[in-house]
Amino acid sequence: MSSQAHIKTQPVQAPAQPTVGFEPRIVGFLCNWCSYAGADKAGAAQTAYPPNVHVVRVMCTGRIDPQFVLKAFDEGADGVLILGCHPGDCHYKEQNLRMIQRHRLFLKYLRQLGYEEERCRLDFVSAAEGEKFAQVVGEMVDTIKRLGPLSRGRSQGQ
Amino acid sequence: MLPEPLGALESLVEALPVDQRVNLADQGAEAGCRAAHLLAEAGRHVVLVEKGPILGGMPVRYEDVFPRLECGPCVLEPFIAEVLHGPHAENIEVHLQSEVAEAVGSFGSFTVKIRKSPRYVNLSTCIGCGACMPACPKSYANPVNCGMSERKAIDFTFYGGLPNAPYVDAQACQKLKGEDCNACVEACPIPGAIDFDQQEEVVERSVGAVLIAVGGELYDCSQLPQLGYGKLPDVVTSLEFERILAASGPTGGTVQLADGRTPEKIAIVHCVGSLDAERCAYCSGVCCMNALKFNELISHKLHGAQVTHYVKSIVLPGKEDHGLYAKVKGRETTAWVQMESAAALNISAGKNGRKVIRYGKENREYDMVVLMPAIVAGASVQETARLFDLTVDAQGFLEELHGRVDATKSKVRGVYLAGTCQAPMDMSHAMTQAASATGGILSALVPGRKLTLEAIYAVVDAERCSGCRSCLAVCPYRAIAYNDEAESAEVNPVLCMGCGTCAAACPTGAIRSRHFTNEQIFAEIEGALA
Repeated sequence: MSSQAHIKTQPVQAPAQPTVGFEPRIVGFLCNWCSYAGADKAGAAQTAYPPNVHVVRVMCTGRIDPQFVLKAFDEGADGVLILGCHPGDCHYKEQNLRMIQRHRLFLKYLRQLGYEEERCRLDFVSAAEGEKFAQVVGEMVDTIKRLGPLSRGRSQGQ
Repeated sequence: MLPEPLGALESLVEALPVDQRVNLADQGAEAGCRAAHLLAEAGRHVVLVEKGPILGGMPVRYEDVFPRLECGPCVLEPFIAEVLHGPHAENIEVHLQSEVAEAVGSFGSFTVKIRKSPRYVNLSTCIGCGACMPACPKSYANPVNCGMSERKAIDFTFYGGLPNAPYVDAQACQKLKGEDCNACVEACPIPGAIDFDQQEEVVERSVGAVLIAVGGELYDCSQLPQLGYGKLPDVVTSLEFERILAASGPTGGTVQLADGRTPEKIAIVHCVGSLDAERCAYCSGVCCMNALKFNELISHKLHGAQVTHYVKSIVLPGKEDHGLYAKVKGRETTAWVQMESAAALNISAGKNGRKVIRYGKENREYDMVVLMPAIVAGASVQETARLFDLTVDAQGFLEELHGRVDATKSKVRGVYLAGTCQAPMDMSHAMTQAASATGGILSALVPGRKLTLEAIYAVVDAERCSGCRSCLAVCPYRAIAYNDEAESAEVNPVLCMGCGTCAAACPTGAIRSRHFTNEQIFAEIEGALA
């Protein structure tokens, strides 16, 4: 992570009661070759999935800097979904494995911030797995609905 | 408000001057020969590196090729002759008995070191008369005939192999072991044609692109000890049977048992190691047609011989393939046994030299058993992957950029693939791949045109680089080097494929992933959540 990160996040607690009618906002970082194509496939097949995930395309999950995830939380995301090629299928040889390593470390950091780990999910969706894309998005939305909105230091006046 | 870098979009197309002149086809399998011929025809200079003493890969060793039972050497030798003596042969530099020892550089400018073993026969003066062979006192098991016959220390690979000249096996030759022998030189009618002063040499060549066509190997049947391979006589592999069928083979093309008798009942076991989750999960795609070819040739050579196929499934993918199947199926002498897996068979010695195949509770007797092993990626595939920093797939073959749309490009820019090193395939598919890779090379390296770079390569801000070298460790393409003088990491834009992992790994934010910069992605996140 570089010094460019403008982290304003603060330790938070999830509300005891999920907010009624809460529609989570989730940022999805999708790799160009597998998961973005998988999302495309879900679309082409007109598979229904919740509209809560806003997709940011990267060439490879290896490009995803932890600051991207923090930036998303900072800008109001309640969850971040990272989707890449299955291990062994990376278009760039093995950079999805670098993402797996970074994700493990990042979850530790997330815990230290007081966030639930489930708010940053890493999964694998191939170009053929339109159905899986829809399923993972559905699960992620359910998870975040259960956790409730992410309250932030900024919204507490900092 | 958008961060500043978005205001000025970077150029999407950039170009670098490159070395256009030379392409390298590595290893002279049939696909390599085809590609060399096509590239030379287009006026390109080709450096052809072949491990063995002749050109043409495996099919040149097959007397008949499916589905039409054409003669393998006859189909291939016109291409090989074009490579050696054709109107564009001056564009092709052939290195036989040679291997790539080292490769550095990148698309447009590779430098390749080629280690050349001596042949001890001068190709420009030898007339191929063969007078040296009877004079040679040393015989040993002939590797081309899978050890089923002997060759002299100076001998042809097989009759008809090109170039038409013998070679000296340095491991077998008595003179090269320091003994007092000069028999071949004395028998040779051309002074200097046999030259024991030849030495191993290493030559260096600059090339713009590399085509890998190193082929594959057969699954080692001794890994299935229940099949008796290597222990029972007359249990042979498809390659051994191919040589038994060949006029240039150990029996002169006569199908016979090790003791010289003529077999009456022959079993062909399909899918040895293939379609087997514990061994090779994939179908090699060529063995069924090869087995049907064997059946036809047995029927031609031995009238009335019974041929029984042990099959798991039959694969006939080509448009001409069903014809051969229908022909074989229509023969009264053909029988089929449906099996769960070749690993479930047990082959043991029976009476009078017979082989007993037990499957379930059923025992059947045969004179000869031909095993059809899976095609696997061999040691040369692993070695080539190491040399050129290529990836291998889950099956061990060289991994292509994309299995459907870019199967002849590797994941390293400028390195192309053709033939069985990429996946098991037949001759026709390998030839098509060679032509496809050639097309890719010709359109990527155009004389007078500069090389177009990926728009998304990474750049390092030398001012911010702390010299930690984290980026070097994560780059999958060896695209980043550390410049000691500038005290900064530097990205080679030709090698960089733009995955952006280095930018994410850089702890000081010194690396910018063009068109996927932090600022651009931050702006996207802001936009998505606005």
